[in-house]
Amino acid sequence: MSFITPKTDWRDSIDRRLTRTQEFIDDTDPAALAVVAVAMGSLLAAFVGFLLASPWTAVPLGAFLVATGYGWVRHQALVARAVTFAMTTVTLVTLGLIVVFIFAESIPAFQYESARVFGVSVPGLGMFAQARWDAVSDPVRYSLLPMIHGTVMVTAIATLVAAPLGVSAALFIAEIAPPRVRELVKPGIEVLAGIPSIVYGFIGFTVINPWAGGAFALNGGSTYLFVGIVVGLMALPTVVSVAEDALTSVPDVMKDGSLALGATDWQSMTAITLPAAFSGVSAAVLLGVGRAIGETMAATVMLAGVPRISEPLINVFYGYETLTSLIARGYGSANGVHESALFAAGVVLFVTVLCLSLASQYIEARMRRRLGGAE
Amino acid sequence: MSRSTQTALVRDDRTAYEAVAGLTVGLSGVAFTLALAALFDVVGIGDPVAGVSLSVVFGGLLLALGGAVVGFGVASRLGYVDTAPQPSAGVVAAGAFTAIWFAIGAVASGALGLGTVARLGAGTAVGGAAFAATAFPREDIGSTVPAGLVAGLAGALLVSGAVGPSWTQPLSGYNATLFGDVVVPATVLFASLVVGWSAAKAYGGFGARGRNVGAYVLIYLVVGSILTVLVGLVAFVAAKGAPGLFNGVSVGGSTLVSWPFLTNGAGLLADIAGVFPALVGTVWLVIGAVLFAVPTGVGAAVFLSEYAEQGRFTSVVEVATNGLWSTPSIVFGLFGAAFLIPRFGNQKSLIAGMLTLGFMLLPLVLITSREAILAVPDEYRDASAALGVSKWQTIRSVVLPAAIPGVTTGVILGVGRIAGETAPILLTMGGGVLPAKSAAPDVLGGFRLSASPPFVSNPALLEATSALPYQLYALITAGLSGNIQNPQEYAWGLALTLLLVVLVFYAGGIATRYYFRQKLHQ
Repeated sequence: MSFITPKTDWRDSIDRRLTRTQEFIDDTDPAALAVVAVAMGSLLAAFVGFLLASPWTAVPLGAFLVATGYGWVRHQALVARAVTFAMTTVTLVTLGLIVVFIFAESIPAFQYESARVFGVSVPGLGMFAQARWDAVSDPVRYSLLPMIHGTVMVTAIATLVAAPLGVSAALFIAEIAPPRVRELVKPGIEVLAGIPSIVYGFIGFTVINPWAGGAFALNGGSTYLFVGIVVGLMALPTVVSVAEDALTSVPDVMKDGSLALGATDWQSMTAITLPAAFSGVSAAVLLGVGRAIGETMAATVMLAGVPRISEPLINVFYGYETLTSLIARGYGSANGVHESALFAAGVVLFVTVLCLSLASQYIEARMRRRLGGAE
Repeated sequence: MSRSTQTALVRDDRTAYEAVAGLTVGLSGVAFTLALAALFDVVGIGDPVAGVSLSVVFGGLLLALGGAVVGFGVASRLGYVDTAPQPSAGVVAAGAFTAIWFAIGAVASGALGLGTVARLGAGTAVGGAAFAATAFPREDIGSTVPAGLVAGLAGALLVSGAVGPSWTQPLSGYNATLFGDVVVPATVLFASLVVGWSAAKAYGGFGARGRNVGAYVLIYLVVGSILTVLVGLVAFVAAKGAPGLFNGVSVGGSTLVSWPFLTNGAGLLADIAGVFPALVGTVWLVIGAVLFAVPTGVGAAVFLSEYAEQGRFTSVVEVATNGLWSTPSIVFGLFGAAFLIPRFGNQKSLIAGMLTLGFMLLPLVLITSREAILAVPDEYRDASAALGVSKWQTIRSVVLPAAIPGVTTGVILGVGRIAGETAPILLTMGGGVLPAKSAAPDVLGGFRLSASPPFVSNPALLEATSALPYQLYALITAGLSGNIQNPQEYAWGLALTLLLVVLVFYAGGIATRYYFRQKLHQ
């Protein structure tokens, strides 16, 4: 069969699918099919109506509810299957809509910040080729570099806090803690994930910033240093829970073999568990980095809100602005290209975090395959 | 998990050496805790202790600890005590000490007024020496002498008063100044950590067992600090917020319980300003998000795990779900602002906030429901199918009931998370800083039917509404001031209310998990 070209293979699969659909339609009660078709059609119409912001959206929505209600009574199995399928597509549709809408809104800013390279105009290059963000006074420029610098500073400090602490805590929960202690520590770290970021921000604004201002004789209290530490604390639970999952997914036989050879617990961890779970643990750190990049409220209330790059670059005692705080602070009062530039910041955030998420998913999938499908 | 390292077979004679090493570990812990207290201004480093300042006492303690640790290493090397060291302290310890001593060398040469190149050179020289001292001698020397010297150097600086309560060092170009108040506790924290690790290794007799003990001490310390921070945070907010939250609470009287902070608005008429509108807003927000996300998420999980063939479609949905889960909340806010607001009357509204949070909740519900459904043993499905029950009947009466515990836990924890979200509703829902009681949304009574499209309307859903996290943010941006008696107290009370709402959800979720797990193990 090896000489089958991909093209015929592709055609085969379409054929197979068509035959299967045909069989399915033949096997199913026509009345049920009709109800499902009406329900799905009106749901689609309602969605399109909503997209077009039509005031008539309620009509197909009502038709969908009536058809589904009728079908639920008469042909429950098929309707349930169709409705759950529609619900499954909601995730994909949501992600698609996010991409379309935030990209579409950011186009004016990208066009405004076009820059010429070798005579070719590249939209958006001006956001990364110069460092001036000023939406009010001339020349009005929308560089994202100061905010990217701030995000990198905060994320780097947060990762320095969250990665080592998170991995140690995950090791503790997965390998070291006696059951009774684990039952106490695990929910504790979950609760840490639940503390709202605005509460962290409030504590940062009322307690940490004034303290830091005095303790280091700063000009104002905003520092990337303490925002980073607070954000690291917020990213910590993500790192702990994902890393702990990875560590516990290492089969016990591997560790038992090591212990049976007379290795200490710590030797088994460093020589067996951590290397085996390495990809899972790094995926956890990546997800933690993603959380830190996207953290908004603490940064917004603790930072000064000045789009400027600190001098020297690694000065952690300044706290100007991050991508997230720029959006949170500026949205509402901004309009026109300025608002569009905030969407551009959102695009940068979204793409970065999505890439991190994809990378960590890829790493995790590889690890699961390596450990022999121990899902 | 085996506890082989603790059984009597390995080692049952507690020698004097071990006792001293244990004492050293304990004293490092004391120094660590005291330094933490000094960092948070619980004690002052200038406070006199037995005639000298605390800073000098710290120095003396570090000198003693450093000396003790070096003593352990030398005693072990000379064979006075029975230990099992390995030929080298290992590359991790060597790397760590290189970095530490590089920093010390660079900082010290900077304090002597050298330039950048000279500082890097000095750092490299000192770091290289530390690497040699750690990596090349036997482990008992390599993991004690560099550590002991760190503590010794720190101790000498503190005892001599070279660094003390009144010490200051401006960081030129950094717009910041270092003071003794921060530097002394930070130094003691770090030095006690290093010396405690080294002493723990000595306590374990170096070698594999020593490393085990050393690593465990560090990990226990990390976990202890995380839990301390957690408890400290909650306790701090509780202590600061309680006066505001319980202001004017009375039991008895005409209404049985009167709790003005939760039942009043913040208008001029209210004698005690309260958070009622925001609280109601948060409740409706959560209800709306749950109504959208829970059926959708659970339905999708059912389809993915019961109907769909595991293939390209399911993996694409999975990737998209995980992608949505990690999407920053502010991006959801932007999306809601661009997509929902133009479709709901072109202004910030309750329903836009509900749906935005619903979109955020959806991946959480989907992921946890999927896990719960996959965890239902296949035997259940097979047994049901063997009785001739159809697939949908099996899902409805076997799979879903068995998956309910997991789904419930996931939903409650997810709701806890979105209840505290601020960024999305900041962009989509808005609301006032100090709303009066009349601003609380009346969703149930707001539905209107009409003869023209869209036929059903509800003004309460289409108005900007305040919620607890948003109100806290709005208060902060208003500079913690406003037309109420005590804005500070009000804000802390609001923060505590928000924290309690979220923690109640988390406690509920965790309790549900325990309840069902207990039932499962009966």
